[in-house]
Amino acid sequence: MSQSLRPYLKCVRSSVTAALCLANFASQTSERHNVPEVEAQSSPEVLLNPLVIARNENERVLIEPSVNSVRISIKIKQADEIENILVHKFTRFLTQRAEAFFILRRKPVKGYDISFLITNFHTEEMLKHKLVDFIIQFMEEVDKEISEMKLFLNARARFVAESFLTPFD
Amino acid sequence: MSIIQQHTSASLSDAWRTINIDALDPDSSQNFDTTSLHPPLPEINEADVRQLNAQVRQLLRGGDAEGALRGCLETPVYNGSESAKTVTEVLQSIKASDMSPMLERIHQSPGGSELLDVLIKYLYAWQPLPAPVVLLGWREAGHRVPLTPQQTGFSQVGSRPGSTNESTGAAMSVILSWHEKVIDIAGLGSIGRCMTDWRKV
Repeated sequence: MSQSLRPYLKCVRSSVTAALCLANFASQTSERHNVPEVEAQSSPEVLLNPLVIARNENERVLIEPSVNSVRISIKIKQADEIENILVHKFTRFLTQRAEAFFILRRKPVKGYDISFLITNFHTEEMLKHKLVDFIIQFMEEVDKEISEMKLFLNARARFVAESFLTPFD
Repeated sequence: MSIIQQHTSASLSDAWRTINIDALDPDSSQNFDTTSLHPPLPEINEADVRQLNAQVRQLLRGGDAEGALRGCLETPVYNGSESAKTVTEVLQSIKASDMSPMLERIHQSPGGSELLDVLIKYLYAWQPLPAPVVLLGWREAGHRVPLTPQQTGFSQVGSRPGSTNESTGAAMSVILSWHEKVIDIAGLGSIGRCMTDWRKV
């Protein structure tokens, strides 16, 4: 892991751990409903201050805590247009399979690439530190994955261009 | 009486479905009066803030970084950007090896944990918040990041990460290492208090 990534991930880890203090909380607007308050935004008193953790202006995490749910949005590093396309394809692949991930949100928050929504039911069913580990591991892996894909893409493009241009040699 | 309702052109359109009727009800939880949750802010005017910043800068020039940091944290200026800049200056001027002992000393002193809570607030306040706070994100239209102009030719050196934003990246890493040190000493509770406090720096 690179030297600058470590404090960033450590900061995200402690902030997410602090934010994951969730309790069951029924909706105040409609009876017998129980909705994630951070999504519904129907009662201002149960929403807490959102936290932003940025490594640089291209890489940041937004943590929006509330009484019964936390929304974590990640902006993945994109240095150029190819990485932009790769990140879009990659997050699309994941969000289409959102059921299998439980905490993955189907749609990212505006300005971010991928969002997770953790509710009190998730923290009751799953171990809290494992949830935090999952988020951190995802952030570690995704950069590696994207740069690997970019290398493969470039290698493939070079091979295709070579074989295409051989007849004109 | 017929169960089929009379249709007018107004009821046939879908526009009325988008009205949030809870917002119109004064008793609804959406219109909860949050002013009762705000603790009273200390009375401080602009002249005081300027004087405080000048004092802190003077302490910093005199080499007393700990005194400068204490001065910033003891009288936090809420809803101001000018003092956040001063705090960042102070934080960046302190060497990495001095951070932990200095924080330890501040934490040990009476009222020290409150000072570190204020410091955590400043650290989070420095992180750039995207301009509009996203409300009802699930209703927003899909958002694509504006594309940067593609580099022509085969040179990819220019587009390497970190080459253009070296300075901001370095400033962020200072903030992040401060965050790590403060959490080591003050614990996760200070983040919790930062999230729940309505007094924002």
